[in-house]
Amino acid sequence: MSSLAETRILNIEKIRDEFPVLHQLVNGKPLVYLDNAATSQKPKRVIKALTDFYECYNANIHRGIHTLAEKATKAYEETRLAMQQFIHAKHIEEIIFTRGVTESINLVAATYGRAFLKEGDEVIISGLEHHSNIVPWQIICDEKKASLKIIPITEIGEMDLDVYSKLLSSRTKIVAVNHASNSLGTINPIKEVITLAHNFGAVVLIDGAQSSAHLEIDVQDIDCDFYCISSHKMYGPTGTGILYGKKNLLERMPPYMGGGEMIKDVTFAKTTFNEIPYKFEAGTPNIADVIALHEAVNFIKELGKENIAAHESELLQYASEKLSNLPSVRLVGTSKNKVSVQSFVIEGIHHFDVGQMLDTRGIAVRTGHHCTQPLMERFGIEGTVRASFAVYNTKAEIDLLMEGLQRVISFMNNK
Amino acid sequence: MSGDLKKLYSEIIKAHNETPFHFEKRDSASHTIKAYNPICGDRFEIFIDNHPGKINEVHFHGFGCAISKASTSVLTKSLVGKMPDEAIALCSTFLDFINKKLPDNTLNLQDDFQAFIGVHDFPERYDCATLSWREMKKFLESNKKNQ
Repeated sequence: MSSLAETRILNIEKIRDEFPVLHQLVNGKPLVYLDNAATSQKPKRVIKALTDFYECYNANIHRGIHTLAEKATKAYEETRLAMQQFIHAKHIEEIIFTRGVTESINLVAATYGRAFLKEGDEVIISGLEHHSNIVPWQIICDEKKASLKIIPITEIGEMDLDVYSKLLSSRTKIVAVNHASNSLGTINPIKEVITLAHNFGAVVLIDGAQSSAHLEIDVQDIDCDFYCISSHKMYGPTGTGILYGKKNLLERMPPYMGGGEMIKDVTFAKTTFNEIPYKFEAGTPNIADVIALHEAVNFIKELGKENIAAHESELLQYASEKLSNLPSVRLVGTSKNKVSVQSFVIEGIHHFDVGQMLDTRGIAVRTGHHCTQPLMERFGIEGTVRASFAVYNTKAEIDLLMEGLQRVISFMNNK
Repeated sequence: MSGDLKKLYSEIIKAHNETPFHFEKRDSASHTIKAYNPICGDRFEIFIDNHPGKINEVHFHGFGCAISKASTSVLTKSLVGKMPDEAIALCSTFLDFINKKLPDNTLNLQDDFQAFIGVHDFPERYDCATLSWREMKKFLESNKKNQ
């Protein structure tokens, strides 16, 4: 793989060979997988890391003295180090393994939120958020009698920062926004969002679900307080991810779940909690998937995020241009600053029907509200068709998408 | 398009989708039945105007895929003029047809029911075809109990 990173222009055919799932027929047609914002496919090295673990050194971690346990513990902790470097965290103990972004956000809402929010406080999120960055805040605000404020979204799908700066006040305690929108692809100006929030003493959580495979992440540079990542959106396995939190905050937060690993000393009278990160990692974690995530990080590192981003933005531009040339197609989300996601609607044809018809041609896209119902409401639509691209996608696949869409339009219009 | 798709999106379904029957809001209706699928976002309201003992007028409005919209349109059209028991029986027939619970001999089904036979090849579309019919049957049955 290392040879791939030597050239700026990536050898996409060689990369595709790394992904066994791509080489199959779906409904008799070669698979065109354009649902990467939902989950990306996994390279062989990630799959191999999973089978290696189960075939060679499956053991529970941190508690065993035997060889397999030591090997498993070492591999697990090496992923923590890899993730620390991946996001440029200052301290390794600032990396907590969770099931993914949803759990990471819930963890912060349920611990930091429960400990520090008071009646009358405010939490700010944006109109671009996934339900997983809305509902946990609604739950904790309801419990604490705090209120939830929403940054409105402009016609092209960007946050209205003027309104945001007016929403901020001494009552603002938490701001939670995504780095990139899963529905529209918009890359948000998070550094500015964070600086403005810090002026009022609020902490900022960034949902990095859609950015980790595409954008450079430097948590010290942007100075966020929390950053959340899901492994499965960055070529890693499902069921794991991380919460990054600043050390001084994590230390002040109460634990999330009680159980093994998160304790120092237990008596029936009193329990002393473990140090971070273990304080937040109760129970046997998802060891195999955490270990395999390391390979996903290596895969991205070796290709170079900037090279991945360059290829993907070429695909995005190609697709957006072709789509906007189709007469009955309207693009939803047209910010100039986007990750490789394009949502669209076709006049008079429901997104679900489009998805179904494309599927019969082997083309996988996502249809629906993408877990962003308030955002759909903002645009006065029930849902969109969303094509999202990864490093292994090609312009030829986008051509197949266009051909498929043209067929859908003429079929439904009886032409 | 493949043969399966042409069967799924039959001409009758496409026609109902494009020009649905009695597609308008009726705020003055005696009953409004809501059919909503939170997974895909399909959302319809069906408005019923009753004369004593008989369904007099039916209208519907809302948003959904071609299959769910056409099926709601066929439902709306089918219920006009029916007695409640007839309407319940009709709902049962349609639901049983989609769920493959009818005996093989379904040739005597009305054409706009038959038009949905393509759904049998796409189990993921059962919910689309049956959404409004399920809600309607539930409503008619509970309405009957309360009388």
